Amino acid sequence: MSNQNARGGRDGRGTRLVTPGASLGASEGRRIGHGIVENAGQLIAVKLGALIENDDEISVMPSHTKYTPRPGDLVIGVVEAVQSNLWFLDINAPFNALLPMSLGPGKSEFGGARNVLNVGFSVLCRIQEVDETHSSVVTMKGLGLRRLDSGIVEEIPPHLMESLFSNSDVLKKLKSSTDCRIILADNGRMWIDGNTDSISDIISRIDKVRNLSRDFSSIDSMVEALQMEVY
Amino acid sequence: MPTPPVPELLRAHLNKLAEKDERLDGRGRFEGREVILETGVLSNAEGSARVQMGNTIVLAGVKFQIMTPYPDRPTSGGFMTSAEVRPVSGLHWEAGPPSPEAIELGRVVDRGIRESGCIDMEDLCILPGEKAWQVILDVFALSDDGNLFDAFATAAMAALRTATIPGEKFDVGEDRPLPVSKTPMMCSYHRVGGRYVYDTIRREEIGGAERIHITLGDDNHVHSLQKGLKGAFTAAEFDEIMEHARSRCAELRDLVNN
Amino acid sequence: MGGYGDVQMIDENGIRMDGRTAGDIRPVLINAGIIPVADGSAEVIWGNNHVVAAVYGPMEAHPRKIQKQDRAVLDVRYNMAPFSTTDRIRPGFNRRSREISKVTAEALESVVLTELYPRSKIRVEIEVLTAEAGTRCAGITAASVALADAGIPMTDMVISVASGKINGVVVCDLNKEEDNYGEADLPMGVCANSGELVFLQMDGDLSPEEFQVAWDYNMGAIAPVHEIMIEALKRSNGGDE
Repeated sequence: MSNQNARGGRDGRGTRLVTPGASLGASEGRRIGHGIVENAGQLIAVKLGALIENDDEISVMPSHTKYTPRPGDLVIGVVEAVQSNLWFLDINAPFNALLPMSLGPGKSEFGGARNVLNVGFSVLCRIQEVDETHSSVVTMKGLGLRRLDSGIVEEIPPHLMESLFSNSDVLKKLKSSTDCRIILADNGRMWIDGNTDSISDIISRIDKVRNLSRDFSSIDSMVEALQMEVY
Repeated sequence: MPTPPVPELLRAHLNKLAEKDERLDGRGRFEGREVILETGVLSNAEGSARVQMGNTIVLAGVKFQIMTPYPDRPTSGGFMTSAEVRPVSGLHWEAGPPSPEAIELGRVVDRGIRESGCIDMEDLCILPGEKAWQVILDVFALSDDGNLFDAFATAAMAALRTATIPGEKFDVGEDRPLPVSKTPMMCSYHRVGGRYVYDTIRREEIGGAERIHITLGDDNHVHSLQKGLKGAFTAAEFDEIMEHARSRCAELRDLVNN
Repeated sequence: MGGYGDVQMIDENGIRMDGRTAGDIRPVLINAGIIPVADGSAEVIWGNNHVVAAVYGPMEAHPRKIQKQDRAVLDVRYNMAPFSTTDRIRPGFNRRSREISKVTAEALESVVLTELYPRSKIRVEIEVLTAEAGTRCAGITAASVALADAGIPMTDMVISVASGKINGVVVCDLNKEEDNYGEADLPMGVCANSGELVFLQMDGDLSPEEFQVAWDYNMGAIAPVHEIMIEALKRSNGGDE
């Protein structure tokens, strides 16, 4: 799906909101994307959101959704529990992720997990694998993956990440206008580090996005809010 | 369910903000959220109110029952407060019997109202030694984004002040307004980033330490105090929040009385 | 309750005390997204009933023993607030609420794609703020809207309505006064698009003919309420009117 098409379906003009159970006609060989199931040749929406119809694909852009882990995703996790040889991370998904000691940061002794990463610590990691029951294993082995020791983590509805930042200028401007370091993670979290005034500035912009997040027709206003100078 | 961990980054950020005397949502240290108050919102309650402060929303409902006065006070009615914080109001509230937190909420709200003497218990007597009204105040959380205490206390007073004693329903005379002679109000302060702030949002509470609840009557008399959670405070700190509570309680009182 | 039989609940023109005809439902108002801290929420004001529902999740299911390996657990609670009725309800365990919670969960499980979230939990909290006959139906309806609002995948939305009998006449959606003299109650939960039933209870006494009328009244009420649900979701999620 090209960005052009994606945005074309989300600008509020001609968009159609569908509700679960809505009948969307015969499948006619179209590819079925997010939020739609096929039953006896008929397409049914299973999520609330905007219907997006491209050349040969039909899908629903949800107005609210939980993050679903996919292998390779960059995610920010918070340590929820520690065992002698692994950590349980909250990654904003329906199920906690496992970080085995072998994939953790640096070397740690068996039983020393807590000294490396304690409960409440935030980490930047990558989804290593997702099994058939959707539970995931994350790794911190990789370039840039690390414990986050400063800054703050904010949340944005995960499904909006792509459309908000599809234009790379948005993030660039946000960084340059606030002089903050920002990392966008695929699980709807963003890490922001800088001086407190700049962080507060970004949080107030993100608050505006969160207030608008239910309204799929206001992606442009959300992007605007992110880029607006608050002063 | 295990209590979710306090994210270390949040705690550290709250500390940094405090150094510059700032808050997470941009408010001043003693700046409260706008209080939106509506009364008469529950048609099966004899008095009711809804209070919204940011994303915190609560309800209060007043019901009446006929009780037998206690033998040692044959001409007195009764007053009881019960706080229900059902899991509808937030991810962090669990199903099951009332948690110690919910019980504390109900009891602190109850004490402020009871001790102010705003409800004349003698006036609730119907037949000495035999029949009296029992006023039952139920406070109920719909959405918890911090400071349920003040939201409950404000909704409670608004519900009581608009309550009607249902004499006709119980066949004991006419319906009449519940006489409420005073308007005790509560202000709550939470230590966040080392200093006390007023009217905390949930993220501040998560990263905060101890809290103090002050209920003041019309004449600034103190009717109830409560210190909750782990932490210690100084007399000077208490003086400072007490001074703020005096002015803020007066503002809230005007809101409830009008 | 004296005077039963003397009370005329329906006049000679078939008009009920509140002005409805036998097949009419009470006015219904639905709003979505009313609980800011929830993943999804809704309120249903159905006649004088006021019911709210909040959805949290899907999330990690605790304790581990409640987890299902192949699907999510729908953890549904129906509860009546203490001030919701004329006589105050004492908070705490209540067999009626437990039963309604169970059948509501099972009705919603029939449409929610729980298999997409194995081992997790979806919390559905239904709170009756004001009760005036028909709260379980309003609760199921509110929960459906809240689940949709939370982005939970479902093959359909469930709408619930009850019909009953007063003074020997079958009527749709009894209000409280009518319910006091009700001789039968048939609540049903119907999938809006497929027309399938996922919730069914009944008590009282209905002849085969009366039963059919009650059934048809319920079926006839589904589409109009479905429209109100969709409008509510559009209002809170920025759809075109």
